[in-house]
Amino acid sequence: MQHILLYIDPGSGSYLIQMIIAGVLGVAFFFKNIVFAVKHFFHRIFGRKS
Amino acid sequence: MADTFQQHPSSYRDPSGFIFYKNGILYRQVNQVFKKDFDQFVNNGLYQHLAENKLLIPHKRLEENLTGSPHWYTTLQPELLPFISYPYEWCFDMLKQAALLNLQTAKEAMNFGLMLRDASAYNIQMYKGRMVLIDSLSFELYDETKPWIAYRQFCEHFYAPLALMHYLKQPLQNLFVAYPDGISLNIVSAALPFKSKLNLHSYLHLHLQKTIGKKQDVENKKSRPFSKQRMKNLLQSLQEGIQSFTLRRSATQWSGYYDEANLRGDYVDLKKHIINDWLNKLNFNTVFDAGANEGEFSELVAAKSAYIISTDLDHGAISKLYLKVQQKNISNIYPLIIDLANPSPAIGVNNKERMSFLARCKVDVTLALALIHHLALTNNIPFDNIAEMFSSITRYLLVEFVPENDEKVKLMTLHKKNVLASYSLEYFLSGFKRYFSLLDTKEIGDSGRTLFLMEKLQAW
Repeated sequence: MQHILLYIDPGSGSYLIQMIIAGVLGVAFFFKNIVFAVKHFFHRIFGRKS
Repeated sequence: MADTFQQHPSSYRDPSGFIFYKNGILYRQVNQVFKKDFDQFVNNGLYQHLAENKLLIPHKRLEENLTGSPHWYTTLQPELLPFISYPYEWCFDMLKQAALLNLQTAKEAMNFGLMLRDASAYNIQMYKGRMVLIDSLSFELYDETKPWIAYRQFCEHFYAPLALMHYLKQPLQNLFVAYPDGISLNIVSAALPFKSKLNLHSYLHLHLQKTIGKKQDVENKKSRPFSKQRMKNLLQSLQEGIQSFTLRRSATQWSGYYDEANLRGDYVDLKKHIINDWLNKLNFNTVFDAGANEGEFSELVAAKSAYIISTDLDHGAISKLYLKVQQKNISNIYPLIIDLANPSPAIGVNNKERMSFLARCKVDVTLALALIHHLALTNNIPFDNIAEMFSSITRYLLVEFVPENDEKVKLMTLHKKNVLASYSLEYFLSGFKRYFSLLDTKEIGDSGRTLFLMEKLQAW
């Protein structure tokens, strides 16, 4: 029954490409969060000093 | 009586339901096959959440099978949209807002255990000054192990056209007429400059998807399952990419028009005064402001009417009007890009899926201010044809005539003097009197320009 609902071709959801993209993004967002955390850390230190 | 309904010509793709008219009222049928997903959508609070936050058009539920269909599960009566527009008539910011709305609803749905299952730009409409989702059947039960079924559609309907406009710095909404089901990633990837590959989001969603997406047409059963975190990353990346897109508003054909017009003494004020006077005497509900520019006159009538369709062919002018409508919270102005020398055609299956602009635009009053000379002199359209177009749209017409000795007209005809042979007040009036009767005439101060109030002849 679920197949009846897939009126968008499942291929058009392009499974493989989304796996790859999500993988790359996982790494990218991981490093982005680290950069953000480091920036936040220094901001807090310098913020206190000033 | 169940057989007297008309299914909407655009509502044929989705087996889970369809929209139809019965006795002039628009309904949506939900089919049995979609019962489980629809019940979840309503019972777990997603519908209420989206409707309350004005992300989705609200509906009333009727437990009556109006079509007599054996597949019927329930009937919905959505709030009626006063006017339907299409992405090829939207400015960049309207499409961008529609894209962000799509992503926001997908994210909200995930929190309720559902997922947005399609991402068509035609499922979004302007309603009360905001972009809202109009398809209540767009949500299915969320399976965390599956990727986003609507991902490619989202890229072709939103990401690709917005990226093209952003990188090429050109308004390209017209591409939707040629590619109504979204712009193919092959075309977009080929047209984009190299620097688009240096942007992570654009590289992944456009260039990489174009390359790999083609190779993998069926779901790979051996692949590892998707996850909720992966889905969140995907949606976050699409959102960041789209938020970074802009179409810089460069000096356009009409920018500064009002500044310039204001230099001509009290021309604009006098015009407003005459129009106000006439409108106060007319009984009307809906207005079409043809060649609205940045909507100064649309704003003038906004308080007096149910809605105003404000069009201009200039993307920059309509962009400014759209931003103004947002900032001032004006809920009844529809700013759209329309070239009256080539209004949006009827397209799609049987040419019935998307109605032409002239078939959708039916109003009581039309303003055609400082417009006719552009159609007649720039586009060489005879007055007869211009009048015929307006007669198919409106009952009353407030039209301005700019004479042949006007500075603007002289400038426009500097290199095409031959068009002036059939351009005069006499030609104008004889053309328009074929379709309209003249109710009043007022000269706009000493500008040499004249306003006419006309009413459509009964014969038309």
